[in-house]
Amino acid sequence: MAGRRPVSRGAVRVLPFGDAGVLVVLGDRIDPAISSRVHRLAAIIRGATAGEAGWRLPIPAYASVLVPVDPLEPGVEMAMGRLLEIAAEVEIAPVRATEGSAAPIEIPVRYGGIDGPDLGDVAALHDLRPADVVELHASVDYRVFFLGFAPGFGYLGPVPAAIVTPRLATPRTRVPAGSVGLAGSQTGIYPFDSPGGWRILGRTDVRPWDLRRDPPALLAPGDIVRFVPLR
Amino acid sequence: MTTPLFEVVEPGFLTTVQDLGRPDFAHLGVPRSGAADTWSAAVANVLLGNPPDAAVLECTIVGPSLQVLGDHVVALAGADLGATVDPGGRRLAPGAVHRLSAGDELRMSGSGDPAVTGARAYLAVPGGVDETVVLGSRATCLVAGFGGLDGRALRAGDVVYAVGPPPADRLVAVGRLAPGGPRWPIGADDPVLGASTVRVLAGPDTEPGDVAALAAADWAVSPASDRRGLRLDGPGPRSRVGAGERLTAGVLPGSVQLPPDGQPIVLLVDAQPTGGYPVVAVVIEADLPVVGQLAPGAAIRFVELSAAEAWNANAARRASFESGWRALAETAGRNGLWKPADG
Repeated sequence: MAGRRPVSRGAVRVLPFGDAGVLVVLGDRIDPAISSRVHRLAAIIRGATAGEAGWRLPIPAYASVLVPVDPLEPGVEMAMGRLLEIAAEVEIAPVRATEGSAAPIEIPVRYGGIDGPDLGDVAALHDLRPADVVELHASVDYRVFFLGFAPGFGYLGPVPAAIVTPRLATPRTRVPAGSVGLAGSQTGIYPFDSPGGWRILGRTDVRPWDLRRDPPALLAPGDIVRFVPLR
Repeated sequence: MTTPLFEVVEPGFLTTVQDLGRPDFAHLGVPRSGAADTWSAAVANVLLGNPPDAAVLECTIVGPSLQVLGDHVVALAGADLGATVDPGGRRLAPGAVHRLSAGDELRMSGSGDPAVTGARAYLAVPGGVDETVVLGSRATCLVAGFGGLDGRALRAGDVVYAVGPPPADRLVAVGRLAPGGPRWPIGADDPVLGASTVRVLAGPDTEPGDVAALAAADWAVSPASDRRGLRLDGPGPRSRVGAGERLTAGVLPGSVQLPPDGQPIVLLVDAQPTGGYPVVAVVIEADLPVVGQLAPGAAIRFVELSAAEAWNANAARRASFESGWRALAETAGRNGLWKPADG
């Protein structure tokens, strides 16, 4: 068996991820156009490999799709070749006009106070008033780039440049469920009590994960989310 | 049919219901979950005539004390956590089937040094542990609190149920279990317990020198480790340009991440399905059970394989399980405990 070197075709790179995964990389930044291609590719991989032994469901992220495979059947080398072919089809396929939910999903948020312990610091870092940060955070429609971190957690963005803020230097050991956080140009809702290093601006009673729903995740990639401040 | 098996007297350090988890829900942010050492979980199951992926109890470092509610057979595999049965203090060895009677108390109070002998014991019960299947699995998802027993570790007072006796054509009779009944391994050393060498391949973010630096050092498993990952203590920070600057992307159990502090993290089954730290190496599938058994304080060394060597290692590990299972089916059949499905 030859070594499994990364292979490229056009803007697509296909890399081995150990012996049980293949990473298909479509770009190197947070970008709605790349994200659209990522999810189209994930859907096509999902369809093309459905029911085939040894292929697991793809894991899309900002600019890549990780495809877990059985190390022996199909094996990484075979899977890399197959995925390179599939990715080439996606490159020439037309972009669908619509994706995700039609209407924005509104998330009511209690900003500041005990619900948003970092609101004051974020405001101070940017020389703004807390009310300005709230207004800015709630002023734009966010795209759901992908789900990760925890069940139902959507990576949302991009946040307005005026409030882009790095993570906390030391993560909290416990962030309460429903907390709305900010990290760089990303924002998101913690579905569960968990440790976390994002700056917490507020809290919502909306449950991003509910097993009584089908699917249990409230958000899907491509959805639009709007935060609504509660008075 | 569901059968009450045990009432939990003491839950132990972390005892959870696990099977092979939810590998197909990562795109919703769901961790895989499942047994940290899938090899030993499968061994415990096939000892009893269960399918290898039936739900088991995963017992960690200090196991539970369980009041036995009926006459049953169980199987134990993985780390030796000093299991005994009272009255009498009969010793229950791993890699074997054991008969329990109503009123017995099964204890796993910890033994020896888990850093040497392994962190996790697996207790298989007839037909598998019975809990509601959530997203295709009975595994406990601790981060989100679903699956297994109410999405949490066992507590005192909980009752553990079994799916039921294996089909009658397989489990012939509890009463016929003779001393020296089915045992594992048969004619082979256990490849998982006590191993400290972990074989890796280069990862998607590996830069020249990364794997060599991992392999050159002696690492120790930090007390901050859990089912999400092994945090490693080693020779101190290794400078690396770009550490901590990867665009968040999918990760898998076995990913070796390098955070900015230079101390690697080996992801285990409860890891989040996406991550932002560079993945500088990936543990081969055959050695995932090895990392799943490493307890805080355990030594760990990395060895880099070629893709072809990894393929051979995985093929050999699977063949070893298959031949062990076959040999077991033959001896178990002779002992009258259970018959192989097609025998």
